[in-house]
Amino acid sequence: MADKLLIGVSTQGAIVAFWHGRRIVECQTFADDAGGRAGFKQHLAQFSNVPVHIMVDAVEEDYRFETLPHATGGDRADMVGRKLKQHYRNTPYMAASFLGRESGKRRDDRFLFAALTNPELIGDWLQEIVARELPVAGIHLLPTVSEALPDKLDVKATNLLLVAQHPNGLRLTFFRDRQFRLSRLTRGDSGRAENRVRYFAEEISNTRLYLHALRTMTLDEQLAVVLIDRGDELAEVATGVTRENPSLACERLGRKDLAARLGFAESLLDASPYVIYLHLLGLKEPQTNLAPANVTVGYRRYQARRSIYAGCGVLAAAAAVWTGVNFYQMMMLRGEAEDAARQASQLAAQYSEITRQFPQAPASAENLKKTVEIAQKLRDSLHTPQRMMTLVSRALEANPAVVIREFGWKYGATEIEAEGAGKRAAGAQPPGAPPPAETPSAQRRESALIEGEIRPFRGDFRSAIVAINGFAGRLSKEPEVAEARVVKLPLDVDPSLSLSGNTLDNPEQASGSAHFKLLVVLKPAT
Amino acid sequence: MNAADLQALRIPLIVLLAALLAGAAAIYFTDRMTVAARQQLVQQQNQLKEARTRLQKSGEEKDVIVRFLDGFRQLERSGFVGEEQRINWLDALRLANQQADLFGVDYQIATQKRFQYAAELNPGQITLNQSVMRLRFRLLHEEDLVRFLNALARQGGGIFNVDLCLLRRIDTGGVIRYQPNVTADCELSWITAKVGAGAEQKKP
Repeated sequence: MADKLLIGVSTQGAIVAFWHGRRIVECQTFADDAGGRAGFKQHLAQFSNVPVHIMVDAVEEDYRFETLPHATGGDRADMVGRKLKQHYRNTPYMAASFLGRESGKRRDDRFLFAALTNPELIGDWLQEIVARELPVAGIHLLPTVSEALPDKLDVKATNLLLVAQHPNGLRLTFFRDRQFRLSRLTRGDSGRAENRVRYFAEEISNTRLYLHALRTMTLDEQLAVVLIDRGDELAEVATGVTRENPSLACERLGRKDLAARLGFAESLLDASPYVIYLHLLGLKEPQTNLAPANVTVGYRRYQARRSIYAGCGVLAAAAAVWTGVNFYQMMMLRGEAEDAARQASQLAAQYSEITRQFPQAPASAENLKKTVEIAQKLRDSLHTPQRMMTLVSRALEANPAVVIREFGWKYGATEIEAEGAGKRAAGAQPPGAPPPAETPSAQRRESALIEGEIRPFRGDFRSAIVAINGFAGRLSKEPEVAEARVVKLPLDVDPSLSLSGNTLDNPEQASGSAHFKLLVVLKPAT
Repeated sequence: MNAADLQALRIPLIVLLAALLAGAAAIYFTDRMTVAARQQLVQQQNQLKEARTRLQKSGEEKDVIVRFLDGFRQLERSGFVGEEQRINWLDALRLANQQADLFGVDYQIATQKRFQYAAELNPGQITLNQSVMRLRFRLLHEEDLVRFLNALARQGGGIFNVDLCLLRRIDTGGVIRYQPNVTADCELSWITAKVGAGAEQKKP
């Protein structure tokens, strides 16, 4: 738990307790005079960035229990704000705390309105705290702080009146069902021991009458009175009160009991009666905080700072965990990789040992095999013009008038180039398409360009063309031939070209010739 | 939150930002390192798998070496494997000319290039090259061309592809005697293989 400064303020002065490790470790009192304030200022100088919780014990306090129509959120805040301004016009130190809902049909909201009606009481002290730039967490009235006391003291009475002697008077605080209902601080003097019993008994009686008048409790109801006796000096008072008023169950809690039940050193009670309440304030801050927003601005920043630093811590821890997990994974993976490398190295050594027994070879087994296989494939796939020449020879036997003058043969991805026929890649090629480049990926096949003529030729182009077409037709009937195409005829009858000649030439002495070109493409060898 | 609040929280916010950046950087870098370690593991596991497979197949590998070593040596001697043996080709050319009874062969060998149809043979680590040889010779008869090419293949001077042949009849004026009647122009591709000096290759 964070360190705190717990400051109790009364008309007598101030007490400053330093809270560290869930307990008060240092306590110092300062009188309400110039010397006291100077000491207070000097004492605060040793603290920096420690939140301050202020508790006020004063007669100038006011409590009102009221019910308001049920509302939530901003509506409730507005309504409560208006009510506070209505009740307490002259002090900035006021607050309301929600107590619960009424049990009636309307189920109205119950609130406790509380205020310190004399702001000057803490003005000077607060000024010193603000000047030191210590964050003020809250300002509380002592009775609201003491609301935790019945639980701590383990007192189970339904109607409980806590009575304690404070420097500025007798503080009587009434709890019903452990909920704070009323508190009063008397200004009487109980200094003389002989008057103490009467004084306490009278004040308790007055309080009962007051509670009766407020209809908080009837006189017939059983009331448990607990005397907070930090100095072990009220034994006689407890006896006297019980004797004078038998309807009261009066119990006294001495030094040992108080120290034991509250959980701090007995010696701490010597410092001040407020130590009990400051201890409670240190443990838990009451709901009712009188400090206005302008006073607690420093504390809000302090809390924001702490939240941010806490966020940084969480962030750093998360990052550290994440990084740690990553590191762990990385180390595991590296370990596995090293194991794999070690095993691979061992296997490589074994393999190397085995390969020493292999016949000496100029290349790896795979490359040896592949090289031999490639060579065999190349030999097997050797193409010569023989197949094409055989086919042409067979066609010539059936067409004796055809005489071959030139024979071109090619084995490649494109056909042999023929004037007027263009170069075509082996495979489908639409007519008129531009000739493709030699592409290794295309399947190779054989093609031939045959240049020949018709002999004897006596100027009868029709017969010559029939003979040429017959020769081409004979070739194209061969099952191995994919295509046999005449690319040039003896007579070009294309209407786009001019044509000339003489029909009177003696057919027996014809000087003309019937040249042609024929392109033959074979199917790819399987 | 106003400007004064922001001013008051300036240092914590800077610390938060620094923590955020430092945390993100730490996570990022360790994440990258983890990814790299995972990749390295995968790589090592692949190498291990390869080594295991290689060891398991070592017996098979030995059989392959025994089976193909002689053939490979023969290819080395013939000049198919290794550097081009152009003298072998010319010797083969001379002998083929004699055996086919030709009238002499003019030749021209171009510079070596990659074999353009290598992909058909799926050569792997083996590099296949080709040198185009242009031949010009005269024939008594068209069939001599085939005889010549077959004779050339039989010489064992290397492996070649015939790419192109052009036969032209010579005008002899109708005189019948022992003389060339046909001229032939051919293009051959002499193919050679360079076996890559890979990690697996063994020194002879």
